[in-house]
Amino acid sequence: MDRPTYPEGYSARKRRAQAAAFAVCRILSLLIVLILFAILGFIVIKGAGVISWDFLTKAPSDGMTSGGIFPAIVGTLLLMLGSAVVAFPVGIMSGIYMNEYASKGWVVKFIRLMTNNLSGVPSIVFGLFGMALFVKYLGFGDSILAGSLTLGLLSLPLVIRTTEEALKDIPAGIREGSLALGATKLQTIWKVVLPMGMPRIITGLILSLGRVSGETAPILFTCAAYFFPQLPTSILDQCMALPYHLYVISTSGTDIEAQQPIAYGTALVLIVIVLIINLLAGLLRKHFEKGLS
Amino acid sequence: MEKIEAKEVNFHYGDFHALKNISMEIPRNKVVAFIGPSGCGKSTFLRLFNRMNDLVPGARLSGKILIDGKDIYAPDVQVDELRKDVGMVFQRPNPFPKSIFENVAYGLRVNGIKDKEFIAGKVEEALKGAALWNEVKEKLNASAYALSGGQQQRLCIARAMAVSPSVLLMDEPASALDPISTAKIEELICEMRDKVTIVIVTHNMQQASRVSDKTAFFYMGEMIEYDDTKLIFTNPRKEATQNYITGRFG
Amino acid sequence: MVKFVESELSQLKREVDQMWTLVYNQLEQSQSAVLDLDRTIAQQIMVRERRVDAFELKIDSDVEDFIALFTPVAVDLRFVLAMLKINGDLERIGDYADGIARFVRDTDMETMDPELIGRLQVKEMFEVVLKMLGELQEALRTEDAAKATAVLSMDERLDSINKASASILADYAREHPEAIPFCLGFGGVFRKLERTGDHLTNIAEEIVFYVDAKVLKHKELNG
Repeated sequence: MDRPTYPEGYSARKRRAQAAAFAVCRILSLLIVLILFAILGFIVIKGAGVISWDFLTKAPSDGMTSGGIFPAIVGTLLLMLGSAVVAFPVGIMSGIYMNEYASKGWVVKFIRLMTNNLSGVPSIVFGLFGMALFVKYLGFGDSILAGSLTLGLLSLPLVIRTTEEALKDIPAGIREGSLALGATKLQTIWKVVLPMGMPRIITGLILSLGRVSGETAPILFTCAAYFFPQLPTSILDQCMALPYHLYVISTSGTDIEAQQPIAYGTALVLIVIVLIINLLAGLLRKHFEKGLS
Repeated sequence: MEKIEAKEVNFHYGDFHALKNISMEIPRNKVVAFIGPSGCGKSTFLRLFNRMNDLVPGARLSGKILIDGKDIYAPDVQVDELRKDVGMVFQRPNPFPKSIFENVAYGLRVNGIKDKEFIAGKVEEALKGAALWNEVKEKLNASAYALSGGQQQRLCIARAMAVSPSVLLMDEPASALDPISTAKIEELICEMRDKVTIVIVTHNMQQASRVSDKTAFFYMGEMIEYDDTKLIFTNPRKEATQNYITGRFG
Repeated sequence: MVKFVESELSQLKREVDQMWTLVYNQLEQSQSAVLDLDRTIAQQIMVRERRVDAFELKIDSDVEDFIALFTPVAVDLRFVLAMLKINGDLERIGDYADGIARFVRDTDMETMDPELIGRLQVKEMFEVVLKMLGELQEALRTEDAAKATAVLSMDERLDSINKASASILADYAREHPEAIPFCLGFGGVFRKLERTGDHLTNIAEEIVFYVDAKVLKHKELNG
């Protein structure tokens, strides 16, 4: 066999191509970071001025031109909690069922297709559906219950999907090791598989919470109150919510001058809540990972 | 009565005839090695002994497998009860993401044992039996993942032995380990043979010849030859066996 | 097929065959030395003995290397073990040829009585031994166990000639006391040839030990 004649200077060229490609990647990543910081900075600058203890702990007053956003914060937290109560058990159990129990046939494929479709459905459609089913048909009225159920449905596909993916990546050898010791499938899932999948499942859950906290459309017809300054006393009460409050004062405000800073302040609080949740998620994930290694 | 008896075992995965009419007897408290090229069916056969193939879709078994004279595929046999008595060690060390102690205690716990003192005693005994005690006694609560590969595999052996099985199946237990860890595993096999009947699948001819009393050679789903290990490695009766063990295959 | 193992094995077989030819020549020469009372030939044999010894060491170390590097089993193991043992046997036969040559060198040929030599059947003894040696070499070359087994019966002829020679030499020594040293020495030649016969039967068994696995191999080929 003849030795191939390698083209002159090819190796320098391919290294240049690599350098160029990486440079483009780096610039684009930096751009993203810059945009992110620009948005955050903009909101912080515009909103930081109104943040005060009163802003966080008082209800809006004077036609929402002054006062705080406390009921909206509480409402958003309640809705997040409610949607988590609805979506987490159902979503995690569905994920477990699909990955561990269901025979790998058309049923699972069908369910997976449906959940994928579900996650593509616009959130306003969830809102309409929630209104039709929970508010009207089941008679929950505009309430935290109806809102939580709707938001829960919205986050279900993501929870199912991440649970399934997390479990799928756990090596079969681990399951076999447990089964070979006389453990049942349930024991295997409960004692070995779930703890191993936990870090990733939790990440999925937190992501879904983040999404829920920012959704406006699903609660528009099911829960959110335009103005409900007292705190809810039951799950059948309406409540205010940060994104909806933001929407309301930005679109149907009566006094733009006074309300604009409040809107930015609200946005800032919302972002901070999401950041705190993500941070908590990171810590929780670390904690579970430490248990594994 | 022999410990394990296979009678005219045929096994299919869908259209694939994985095991062809295999009959063999495995004597009590002996070490039997299964050798043969990849895909010859030896692992499949091994995994029939603790019904690990039950979950494989489209699998069909005919014939009988008896352990202590009892058909392990009879309808009244509970598979988790069977696996308590027929332990298994896998090719890759597969400790659970738990502490060293909890790994060994796992088999006892999932079978309903709660007595803490008993569990602690069993864990120590099993770790000593796997020649791991001295290396881990100071850090029983450390994660099993902190151990080296060879230690993890010995942990898996301790874990399997903690539930006191009467049969131990080993599916290439040393193929992912370095020579020293391999030697330790082989030494364990030789020490454990008083307590359990061991069936080991291996690609390492010398491992089979060193640790086993009897050797079975599998090829294309058939058991070509099954005899005393000494005979197989000095004067096999079949051409195919000789070609395989001398490396003249294919 | 593992070609490099095969070539190692055939190389080893070739070496043993060369060793064999060397030893065969030594023994054949020692026959001439005894029958023709030729001290020059005896001298040559003694010189060549060193080559036999060196060859033995070479084969020994080659076998050792092969076992260490290839850890042979089954037919391969039997083959190298057979080669190792045959090598040892051949070396001993070489020693006997050397011993006979030394006897020729050290003996005062004037005391020899041609009539005595005739009665002792020394020529036939040599011929039987050489025939066995040659047949066995062929048996190994062709891996013919039957041929190797056939050689076994020839050993009895050596025993009877040896036994007869002992009494003939004893009687002769009684009548001719001055020939006692010669008779003792010549008895040594017979004993050495008889021992050669024993080594040859060992070799025959080694060949059967190795070839048996082969024979079986051929039988199984169709079945």
